Amino acid sequence: MSGVALRVLIVEDEVFIALELECLLEEAGHVPVGVATRSAEAIALARDLAPDVALVDIHLADGPTGVAVAQALSAQAGTVVLFTTANAKRVPPDFAGAVGIIAKPYSERVIRAALAYVAGRYHGGAATGAPDGVVLAP
Amino acid sequence: MTARAADAPQAASFLAAFQASEAPMVMTDPHRADNPIVFANPAFCRLTGYAPDEVVGRNCRFLQGPDTDPAAVARVREAVALGEPLQIDILNYRKDGHPFWNSMTLTPVRDEDGTLRSYFAVLTDVTRARQAERALAREKDGLAQDIEARNRALQSALDQQTALLHEVDHRVKNNLQVISSLVLLKARRARDAACRDVLRSMADRIGALATVHRLLYSLSDVARFDLRDFADDFAAELEAGIDPDRIALTVDVAAVAVPASMAAPLALLVHELSVNAVRHAFPGERHGRVAITARVHDERLILEVRDDGVGLNPQSDNPEGFGRDLVGMLVRQLRGSLAFEDLNPGTRAHVVLPLGPGLAGAGP
Repeated sequence: MSGVALRVLIVEDEVFIALELECLLEEAGHVPVGVATRSAEAIALARDLAPDVALVDIHLADGPTGVAVAQALSAQAGTVVLFTTANAKRVPPDFAGAVGIIAKPYSERVIRAALAYVAGRYHGGAATGAPDGVVLAP
Repeated sequence: MTARAADAPQAASFLAAFQASEAPMVMTDPHRADNPIVFANPAFCRLTGYAPDEVVGRNCRFLQGPDTDPAAVARVREAVALGEPLQIDILNYRKDGHPFWNSMTLTPVRDEDGTLRSYFAVLTDVTRARQAERALAREKDGLAQDIEARNRALQSALDQQTALLHEVDHRVKNNLQVISSLVLLKARRARDAACRDVLRSMADRIGALATVHRLLYSLSDVARFDLRDFADDFAAELEAGIDPDRIALTVDVAAVAVPASMAAPLALLVHELSVNAVRHAFPGERHGRVAITARVHDERLILEVRDDGVGLNPQSDNPEGFGRDLVGMLVRQLRGSLAFEDLNPGTRAHVVLPLGPGLAGAGP
């Protein structure tokens, strides 16, 4: 896989979704660095692992805490947050610091395109156009 | 002097008229200290409950009581001070203490030189009218409160429904993602290529359903589904899986708002026909074109998928057999008709689906 290999933190409480996402990321040439299912775990992992990207669901094992996670993680230098959620209506107007929303149910293609976009825009990769299937932050 | 002598009988008849009048009347003399009553007719005495000798010589303020509005009293005082006429509703009290609403007309009376001679007041008891008015106002307030309470109840019921819809919507989407992930995980682990293909194609079908659900509740109208939105999304997915130099895909789908109940089978139908064409019409390195079109004619949706590939395969145990079966079942479910035509080269699938009356209209 050409392009930038991103180190990705998955924040998702559904075990099968997280596992499949890890496989897909590897296949796309990225590096899944960890999976968090709760907000505190997500924040601690992000601090320790300093990922390039965090894919954050809004409903986590400890409730609708994904928005707070996005706020904390996007404040961390070098980490870009993308929401992956079936509940985009819960995202505040400022996107809580996230750069975009990938609406669930998503396809493999949309995840690949979204990460290629983030690599180009924030991590020195080749620039790509705004990916369809992703709602970018204002 | 002659004039005065002539005035006397006329004055007497005026006085008799005032005495006989059913309208309570009173006259005061502003030239005497404290503007006292100098005349009150029997109707005034009947209304207030006082005898004539109890009122003559007193200022009218004895009619006021604890609930008389001080602002109304002040307006009367001001009109008297300025020598102006006044019409006012004021709460007065009878001798026995009962209040009554007095709609009073106060008129300054001047002589030929314009000098103020007296004040003349006509009283009207409007207590009943006031009571009716207040009862009506109370009833109106009550109704307004009732409507407000009902509106609040309706709003809260609607809020609950909306929250429930969001919750169900969220669960459906999340579960579709879980199902899709499960199938894809199994596909990754399958050693057998045929098995992997089967699982992949099942994941694609789930993906088509997932797209439907993602689009269904993103619009404000949850009862409709825009076929063009689906086709755009679907085409992007399909194109990602083919070599654009080998197979050219064109999509021309009208903005048709179809009922939500048709969305899932219709999406699967488009998926099966298109995937069949892309996967099976161009074996080996064969090049070609696939065109997906949909339009509305006569309250019917006309869906066509055509390719210029190898043509119909008569064998029923071929790989596209299951897809073909699905297409037949979906068309039956949608109460439509289906025809395959050999174009030589290529195949055209022609599907006609009835849309409900009034639903055939194009989208926004």
